[in-house]
Amino acid sequence: MSAEVGLSISGLRCQVDRKEILKSIDLTVEPGRVHALMGPNGSGKTTLALALVGHPHYAVTAGSATLDGQSLLTLSPDKRAKAGLFLSFQYPAAIPGVKVANFLFAARQAVKPGGDVTPAKFRALLVERMEALGMDASFLGRYLNDGFSGGEKKRLEMLQMAVLAPRYAILDETDSGLDIDALRHIGETIAALRSSDEGRATGLLVITHYPRILRYIKPDVVHVMLDGRIVKTGNVELANRIEREGYEVVRAESGAVA
Amino acid sequence: MLSRAPAAPFTRLAPFADAQFSLETRTAALQRFFELRSGRERPSRYWRVDLDAVGVDDLELDPAGGSVEIACSDARVRVGAAPPSLGMSAASQTKYGALALAFANRYAFVSVPSGIDVEEPIVVTYRARESTLFPYTSIHVERGARAMIIERIDGGAHAFVCGITEIVTGEGSEARLATLQVLDDDSRFFSTRAALPGKDASIEILTADLGAELVVGEIDVRLLAQGADAQIVSLFFPSDRQHVDLRSTVDHRVGGARSQTIVRSAANERGQGRYVGNIRIAEHAQKSDASLRDDALLLSPSAHIDSVPALEIGANDVKAYHGATVGALDGEMLFYMTTRGIDREQAERMVTLGFFEPAVERYPAQLREEIRERLAARAQ
Ligand SMILES: Nc1ncnc2c1ncn2[C@@H]1O[C@H](COP(=O)(O)OP(=O)(O)OP(=O)(O)O)[C@@H](O)[C@H]1O
Ligand SMILES: [Mg+2]
Repeated sequence: MSAEVGLSISGLRCQVDRKEILKSIDLTVEPGRVHALMGPNGSGKTTLALALVGHPHYAVTAGSATLDGQSLLTLSPDKRAKAGLFLSFQYPAAIPGVKVANFLFAARQAVKPGGDVTPAKFRALLVERMEALGMDASFLGRYLNDGFSGGEKKRLEMLQMAVLAPRYAILDETDSGLDIDALRHIGETIAALRSSDEGRATGLLVITHYPRILRYIKPDVVHVMLDGRIVKTGNVELANRIEREGYEVVRAESGAVA
Repeated sequence: MLSRAPAAPFTRLAPFADAQFSLETRTAALQRFFELRSGRERPSRYWRVDLDAVGVDDLELDPAGGSVEIACSDARVRVGAAPPSLGMSAASQTKYGALALAFANRYAFVSVPSGIDVEEPIVVTYRARESTLFPYTSIHVERGARAMIIERIDGGAHAFVCGITEIVTGEGSEARLATLQVLDDDSRFFSTRAALPGKDASIEILTADLGAELVVGEIDVRLLAQGADAQIVSLFFPSDRQHVDLRSTVDHRVGGARSQTIVRSAANERGQGRYVGNIRIAEHAQKSDASLRDDALLLSPSAHIDSVPALEIGANDVKAYHGATVGALDGEMLFYMTTRGIDREQAERMVTLGFFEPAVERYPAQLREEIRERLAARAQ
């Protein structure tokens, strides 16, 4: 078991407010690979993401989730991050009074302790990453997500990912609300992360409604979730087909009950 | 009248009589102290101190108690000599203001002559020792002048500190008074502050109470001149068994003046706090613009903070706003931070400090780091 690599989810069931939302999910993201996860509104994509990072309101009732063999489900959210898991939130929280630079430094220290980064060196790294994301360096002095536009919040999520260089990252609709330039920047940032020493093997689970982002982050595998189950798995052609035909076809083929 | 007050305290006044305040002035003040009530009921059943029962019998009244130091690098500022505004404020008309005047023994008098711009802050440091300290700060910023005064109150094992700070400013002046109180945790601190800004003058009064087991504070701003702009920023953080009871009153007696009061507080462990924010707008004070915002954070089930905004509005053409919140740390914020590897305790500390940060940023740069460190120590 412990020799197993990948972000591995098996038979995972999850309840929110005593209501079962995820009904047995099986999915493995291998190092360095990109999995896309699509599915209609309310199908359970965000629930899966939040259950994996350990949101206290999302109760896992069965199944397992391991990160390179290490069980995640008994770990607190900070320990999961330290193990190498990252979630780019669909709706990131705003934290007034906590400056972006201080927050990023604290997070980096927590996730990569004993690193060689001095605050000055770290700042230089930040500025470089921000440039790539088309973010002004003045964001560093602002309060975390406080008063940020939707797109700015998403860019900041990507900045955090670039800085924390996780082993596995889940991107929950990071592309929603982004303009085309921002999408390209994000594609470049991910490409840069994955060609760096730290992020070479980062595996990605990209939750999205639009094949557009998949032009910038090429998926190896595409999954479709319906009503808390993964009902179909294929390649990028599956994403294009959904774009053309909608989820009804998949629903009919899978025989899922609406 | 005198017969109602115990005689003994009055016999203890004589050694305090000095060039600033005669025995008569002090006797009258002490009489007021015994006659006046604090006007402060116990805010909650957890509150241990009866603020009307505080007396002087158990105090070691020492005219040489504590010390004061004034640092000012600008030779144009007159330091030490009593400014003309001495005693002009209403500070000594309140119960604890009267007590402060009766036994006043350490002075900081600052006069900033008209038209000058004082670059560096003027720093007044009061240091308490074991016994009592009665600081009296009087500041006069003349017409068109600009200055910042930092008042620091520290030291004090089992000390009793009771002081007055008054600030009177001239037309078009800009004055900032920032107080940081970091007395030892077994000390008691009573402070009465009064401000009288001039026409078109702006005045800022910042108070940070991060020490002492009991803090009783009063801030009184009277807006008697048109176009004045007064800002009050208060922050406090009772922890352990500390009690903090603050009250501010902004009195719009003339129209067309502005005031803004911002309060940030948190309580930890069995810490108890109360902020009473009064705004009064007189009948004829049209076009007044007053606001008060008080946010409190409770970090433990036995901590308690009362936030009591009170508006009394006599005029009809005014802008007045008040808002208050009392709440716990936001779980979604903490969760978000922990998903970035930050452990729960550090996340709580960061969110708590963040809650204070907009207020901390109003303080002069020299004080900010110390305020943050002391807040962080209490957030543990
Ligand atoms: N806290 C909650 N309380 C009650 N129901 C919830 C809660 N969180 C999620 N749900 C429900 O769980 C289901 C799945 O929600 P989820 O957010 O996972 O969907 P999603 O696939 O991410 O949708 P979208 O594409 O709109 O983001 C929905 O029906 C939602 O209403
Ligand atoms: Mg979602």
